Amino acid sequence: MAVPVGSVVFAFVVGGLIVAATGGNPFAAYQGLVCGGFGLACTGGENPALQISNTIVFLTPLITSGVAVALPFRAGLFNIGAEGQLLVGAIASTVIGVKFGGLPGPILLPLALLGGMVAGAVWAGIAGVLKATIGAHEVVTTIMLNYIAQWLLRYLIVGGPLQAPNGFSASAPIAPAARLATILPQDPTLVIFGLPASVFRLHYGLLIALVAAAIFAFLLWRTSLGYEIRAVGQSQRAARYAGVSVRRTIIVTMLIAGAFSGLAGAIQIVGVDHGLLDKYFTDTTGFDAIAVALLGLGSATGIVLASILFGALHAGGSVMQSDAGISGSLVQVLQALILFSIAANFLRMFRLRLPTIGRARPTPADAVRDVRAP
Amino acid sequence: MTGISDILHLLTTADLWHATLAAAILLLLPALGGVISERSGVVNIAMEGMMLTGAFFAVVADLAWHNPWLAALVAMVAGGLMALIHAVVSIRFRADQIVSGIAINIFAAGLTLYLVNRIYGIEDVGHVGQSALLPSIDIPIIDQIPFVGHVFSNQNVVVYVALILLVVIQIVLFRTRLGLRIRAVGEHPQAADTAGINVYAIRYGAVITSGLLSGLSGAFLAIGVSNTFVPNMTDGRGYIALAAVIFGKWRPLGAFVACLIFGLGQAIYDNNSFIHISQYFLSMLPYILTLIVLAGVVGRSIPPAADGIPYSPGTE
Amino acid sequence: MYSRLKFLGVASVALMLLAACGSSGNTPAAKTYKIGLVTDTGGLNDKSFNHLAYLGLQKAVTDFGIKGDVIESKTQDDYVPNLTNFATKGYDLVVGNGFFMQVSIGTVAGQFPNVKFAIIDGAGTDAKFNDLKLPNVMGLVFKEQEPGALVGVIAAMMEKTGKAPKNTHVISAVGGVSIPPVNHYLAGYKWAAVMEDPSAKVIIGYSNDFNDPAKCKGIAQSQIGKGAEFVFQVAGGCGVGALQAAGQAKVWSFGVDADQKDVDPSVAASALKKVDVAVYTAIKSVVKGSFVSGGNTFSLQNDGVGYQVDNLTLPADVKAEVDSVAAKIKAGTLTPPADIPPPV
Repeated sequence: MAVPVGSVVFAFVVGGLIVAATGGNPFAAYQGLVCGGFGLACTGGENPALQISNTIVFLTPLITSGVAVALPFRAGLFNIGAEGQLLVGAIASTVIGVKFGGLPGPILLPLALLGGMVAGAVWAGIAGVLKATIGAHEVVTTIMLNYIAQWLLRYLIVGGPLQAPNGFSASAPIAPAARLATILPQDPTLVIFGLPASVFRLHYGLLIALVAAAIFAFLLWRTSLGYEIRAVGQSQRAARYAGVSVRRTIIVTMLIAGAFSGLAGAIQIVGVDHGLLDKYFTDTTGFDAIAVALLGLGSATGIVLASILFGALHAGGSVMQSDAGISGSLVQVLQALILFSIAANFLRMFRLRLPTIGRARPTPADAVRDVRAP
Repeated sequence: MTGISDILHLLTTADLWHATLAAAILLLLPALGGVISERSGVVNIAMEGMMLTGAFFAVVADLAWHNPWLAALVAMVAGGLMALIHAVVSIRFRADQIVSGIAINIFAAGLTLYLVNRIYGIEDVGHVGQSALLPSIDIPIIDQIPFVGHVFSNQNVVVYVALILLVVIQIVLFRTRLGLRIRAVGEHPQAADTAGINVYAIRYGAVITSGLLSGLSGAFLAIGVSNTFVPNMTDGRGYIALAAVIFGKWRPLGAFVACLIFGLGQAIYDNNSFIHISQYFLSMLPYILTLIVLAGVVGRSIPPAADGIPYSPGTE
Repeated sequence: MYSRLKFLGVASVALMLLAACGSSGNTPAAKTYKIGLVTDTGGLNDKSFNHLAYLGLQKAVTDFGIKGDVIESKTQDDYVPNLTNFATKGYDLVVGNGFFMQVSIGTVAGQFPNVKFAIIDGAGTDAKFNDLKLPNVMGLVFKEQEPGALVGVIAAMMEKTGKAPKNTHVISAVGGVSIPPVNHYLAGYKWAAVMEDPSAKVIIGYSNDFNDPAKCKGIAQSQIGKGAEFVFQVAGGCGVGALQAAGQAKVWSFGVDADQKDVDPSVAASALKKVDVAVYTAIKSVVKGSFVSGGNTFSLQNDGVGYQVDNLTLPADVKAEVDSVAAKIKAGTLTPPADIPPPV
């Protein structure tokens, strides 16, 4: 715990120096950031409850897509494709929510979530199959699949079959029955925390994401599949000697990872956006997820904590700009600095304390190296 | 069907190949850097960030001094400094190289945008005058050859530099003592160390070289192809370059082939005003094509054995 | 497992409650007007309408002594939180910049009936893009087809009267994405060109990008290769590359939104969309107490759009024709179309 906390402190000190060196006030900047992220120490009149709600809305998709990156890491695979998998998940979920809008909610909503997971799984599965059968490197294939998903989305909603009748570069909204409930009632007349309740967008997707993280932990440490995944990640040769089918494990790993990522997209659709928007042209959740997975050291708890940090920084950036006049881009600088310091520190500590275990826990870079074909 | 014949016709025009080459070179420079870095055993997915940093500082320097050569040098140094961070963190501190690379990319995106806001503010980034851009040049004799002349002549000076670098790096990596050392360090650093090769020095050199090359590519984009800095203008080229490195099996010429595929895709897309095919399908084409080629022709990609493993003397 | 999750839900609500209790009460606004601007994801340095909106805000700060704050949206997920941020803080007017913010404005304005909102390029809509006609939302829309038409007249007249570099009778345009604010420009451009010079061929391509100049440059080069002698960019920061392609090929180009004279010597004229004027006007209406909800159209008639001659000295007959068309559009005897067929 000391290392991540120390790393965050280090990042903020260096970030503060950058702000000061360019003529800004680091204390004002950080006050805005803390207010925006956690609703603490606000001076500009922000509503603390609303800030926390915003942070949670931002961090929810990071948890599941973070898992989608972390799981393949365990198998020695580097999934850069979480973004593409998220996009096809969002597409599938929207199609279901729009085309089957007549179904009752208890059927439609799970169907929309499931559809997103299946689509994400298929998308990642392509990379998995190509890797397992031909040995095509997943870094290349998932990057390619990201772009293909991106253009598929544009085709569908810019003048394509999913475009809203009245709209442009957006799909029709999904049926109300397909939507995930918000935790507070969507009643504008009800005043909670000094604001109309409908302002709080916090939705039950958070719980789904936390369940997903728990399933990830359970799968990895309590099931035979999890053992196989870890075995393949440590050494494909040893795994083979132990009777593990490396090919099958690679494909299954990617399928599951894709399902997690697709779920992230589906949750965004049913929980927040209620339809495909052009925002997905510039979405970066799947890339932030890589940072989250790395920062969380590949564990479920770590991913949740890292998501909280990234979600809070995202929400905080806006307040920092409105209150302190410091460009929200500083948030990215801080994220990078945190990553640097954790990475540099983490491994050093790792080696000092566990010299004999060596590569018991594969580091992500192993993913790129250890691609000896099955 | 008209769409396909449109494309086939395009393929016979020298203009298309001229544009293909230019677009490919933007990817080739970071890809060459990636090859060198990974051959020495340091995974490098930070080309995007190094390139973006180079683009930004090229414009800052060129606006200040009106000298494209100096600006390109500044861009290379800026890319090199980003690479130095990657090197220190991943070689000296033995950090995970993917974490470090991702961090560089995020860092560069945030820093450039932050500095644009701080330095130029409401004035916005200015535009470099025509005379202060990296020039396009004609190559005597070659420009007289009918088709080929049109493709290869009147390209930006960086294109020629990159083509020379391509050949030089291919030769150095596979035909010289230095190349042997770089590859040895990337395949088996312990043995290389035993043989008296300075593993750290080779790796630092390789990573920094990748930064210089990516920075140069950024300068080409910002003050060669364009004349200003636009936030996130590199638009994922660093990641495509990474794909090209792996597609090309960590060989310069192989990576160049991949860059040409992507460059061709871009050049064909540039003609979307005339091609009777959905522009969206047209945009997907290079990526689908890469998947097919990868699946059918290239197949297995096996990186250098020690790629991604931090070296500490005395282990194993 | 279930009870544990339920606990988490309760806990998160409790956390919010706790935080709400810890907050200091909102102080009532002093009599300095507070105006908030939320940019779209292009950010303030987009060389396009976000930058212009910021200029309008700055001018209002100087002229009226208001407090003007800005938040750049990093992703479109930020639209609602950023608009809400200003609304909860009791800002007098919140300006949302861009077509893509319509639904977000509709949502947030509905929740904060006491805060005034303005949106560039749209209205406050529901998720099906129907205008909600909220009493606290001012829509600021532009007839982009009019300035598009005027630069189209310049191009076609130069071709028709034999003053273009080679008189190919081919002109072109590079659009960002096929959305209304872009297509309006293109529609007016094409319409006017064919009206002036029936033999003119108008090539239109899309970059599907607003940031990468290399993309627009490539598209412009391919169009120039097909003989285009005037290239109209409607693609923000990406379009800068199109202007440059024209300059290097020694043909002319047209800038968009702002006066882009300094971007490249090839910029013959710029089609102006005075987002700065619109933002300034909206702020002024709040300060002067004359805020009116509903659509405000900025056109040639109220000088909300226009054209600016840049690096090309217009021949007298061309200039006369442009002014004549402008006058007819103003008078309503000529009406440029707002739409063109979508790209394949």
